[in-house]
Amino acid sequence: MPQVRIIAKNFMDMVASLPAMKLDKLYENAFICEAILRSLPPLAKKYVLQLLYIDVPVTASSLQEWVLADGASKHRVAVDRLIQLRVFTEFVDRKKETTYLLNPMFQMNLREHIIHGGVLPREPMAATITVRLPSLEDLDIYAAQQWECFLLHLINSAEAEVTTKSISPSMMKVFQRGLLSQRDKEGSRLTESGFQFLLMDTNAQLWYIIREYISNSEDRGVDSADLISFLLELSFHVTGEAYNVNTLNDIQRTTVKDLADLGLIKLQQGRKESWFIPTKLATNLSISLSDASSRKQGYVVVETNFRLYAYSTSKLHCEILRLFARVEYQLPNLIVGSITKENLYKAFSNGITADQIVSFLQQNAHPRVAERVPSIPENVTDQIRLWESDLNRVEMTPAHFFDDFPSREVFDAACDFAREYSSLLWEDSKKMRLIVKTEIYGHMKDFLSHQK
Amino acid sequence: MKIESSHEVKQINTVGPTRKSVLKYKPSMTPVSSKQYADDVSLLMVLLDTNPLFWSSTAAPLSFSKFLSQVISFLNSILLLNQLNQVMVIATGLNSCDYVYDSSSGPTNQRVEILLQKLQDFVVKDEELNKDDSVDGIGSSLLSGSLSMALCYIQRVFRSGSLHPQPRILCMHGSQDGPGQYVAIMNSIFSAQRSMVPIDSCVIGSQHSAFLQQASYITGGVYLKPQQLDGLFQYLTTVFGTDLHSRSFLQLPKPVGVDFRASCFCHKNTIDMGYICSVCLSIFCKHHKKCSTCGSAFGQPQTSVSTSNQKRKAP
Repeated sequence: MPQVRIIAKNFMDMVASLPAMKLDKLYENAFICEAILRSLPPLAKKYVLQLLYIDVPVTASSLQEWVLADGASKHRVAVDRLIQLRVFTEFVDRKKETTYLLNPMFQMNLREHIIHGGVLPREPMAATITVRLPSLEDLDIYAAQQWECFLLHLINSAEAEVTTKSISPSMMKVFQRGLLSQRDKEGSRLTESGFQFLLMDTNAQLWYIIREYISNSEDRGVDSADLISFLLELSFHVTGEAYNVNTLNDIQRTTVKDLADLGLIKLQQGRKESWFIPTKLATNLSISLSDASSRKQGYVVVETNFRLYAYSTSKLHCEILRLFARVEYQLPNLIVGSITKENLYKAFSNGITADQIVSFLQQNAHPRVAERVPSIPENVTDQIRLWESDLNRVEMTPAHFFDDFPSREVFDAACDFAREYSSLLWEDSKKMRLIVKTEIYGHMKDFLSHQK
Repeated sequence: MKIESSHEVKQINTVGPTRKSVLKYKPSMTPVSSKQYADDVSLLMVLLDTNPLFWSSTAAPLSFSKFLSQVISFLNSILLLNQLNQVMVIATGLNSCDYVYDSSSGPTNQRVEILLQKLQDFVVKDEELNKDDSVDGIGSSLLSGSLSMALCYIQRVFRSGSLHPQPRILCMHGSQDGPGQYVAIMNSIFSAQRSMVPIDSCVIGSQHSAFLQQASYITGGVYLKPQQLDGLFQYLTTVFGTDLHSRSFLQLPKPVGVDFRASCFCHKNTIDMGYICSVCLSIFCKHHKKCSTCGSAFGQPQTSVSTSNQKRKAP
């Protein structure tokens, strides 16, 4: 069974893959420099800070002296990342010595930031104008609702409430591109990547959607560099503070509308002014994809008798659980289900791996069981993996069967020939039968015709 | 349901050998959320020495304002590195200590103003607490107090929730060691060692500080006495800016020679040889009848060695 995985690539990988000119232009924005600094590996961050006030190129050997022998690989990774993001420029002089110089624009922006502290391009609006500002909890609930609605809409579930009408159908098609497959008769079905997408945690899903949005931006006539810089700037705003929409240009305004549908921003209308409020989803944009960042409350308890209790009311969670478990009852605050062989076989045939299911259960474990080691009982995880390996018991290799050899010498010669190419799969010397891999079928034919 | 479960049991038996191989392959579950954040999220407690007698004397190699500007830039750079980093500043005065700045509260664009304002208020309050009798020389600032305050805050962070940043303490000190604070400082050092909180020291004054050398040595921190204080920011970012996780890969300044001399509990003098209570390990410079810390009674002092030898020879 082909195992397709969505690689939830880091946003910074996408930034790093931009052409050099665009990247240099991006660095003129101080917030991008800050966001990129935060996304570097820890050793790379240290090197940047060390070289912040040094104007002459630093030799690679002097940088290496700082690191102990254990850290040599991390040092290499850090330096490569810095060169890839064009933060370090590498020079090789005549004496074959490599030296590094910090990108001057980057350097200047960071120096300013350190001395003056970060200053946003826009100030939050005064409290007198913004009335009925939602509290942080309300904002979180709003963001979660919008995001869930969007996801349900994405997977075309029958339960989706159609409040996200404002996302244009073409945009939805873009998002659905990798995740749904269009079939004429049955309507669209989730692909393997679609299932894996649903089981990723919120941050990873967010990054995937944003990446699709940005890579699609060129088609709509929006410069991707501008979009990236606006998104990164957005992540430095304060959650819950209102910012005037008048401070945005047109492109940014359309972006803000799209983001409001996703749940990153809440738009509100006052008497004369309208403003936008970033939610926690937006301000978390600059944190890189690490386990530490997903801190939301888990809700799933798995028992040793394979029963599943999910303390949640959201339809999205119900749909996700239906992917691999049989949902038995749905109570006002609880979803009861059990993990059965049939459901797991169905999940495996849809392309979900046992590891994904197990990590989904682990990451969403209810706080009462999350502290326990292990948070999911071992018999459940082992059984899930065993059921997965059940489907992998048979391994298929395309092969060819040779029979009816004229003499023993020819048969032995054919066996040796196949063995040299390590393509011999099976032989029966008594009856002189042979199975070889398909790759050498042509060579085998030539060989045997030469033998005759 | 019953039939189903027995069917499942049969299934397990037939794949007996496979089960062992599966279990060997993935032995145990790795816990997903560990107590501390992975990576380099850190909580930095900075203990600033604000002893006015030290800063106004000739022993101070640079002015307080220059020192403060370098430290503030350093704090900004720490907060720049990670969205979740926290910085806490405690001012160590002559007579009192106080929390001066907390990065997790307050607006981010007015950090410097808030810090300077609170520092100003603190120094004024500290001076009012000055007793009338003048102090000779530089005097020593209340390091034990600020260390204790830092450790209390760190304990609160440990108990705050399931995920917390990795804490460490940075001591920016200039005044001399006050032998009267020996006991309290050693207690703080040992409790820091037990909570696995490293104490880094950056000594600004002219002499080495034995207390801070011991603190950094025992808790696994870094002790540094920078030579050129115009470049203090560079020293800070290069040596003290690294998070705990990366420290295992980096070469950091090693302690050259640590002064382990203790001070006695009765007169607070620094001594090389003395008497120790065998119950609570308190140190005294001369013989006492009773230990002042735990109250255990001591016997007569051993006056001559020969008498004890004779006692041992008798079976």
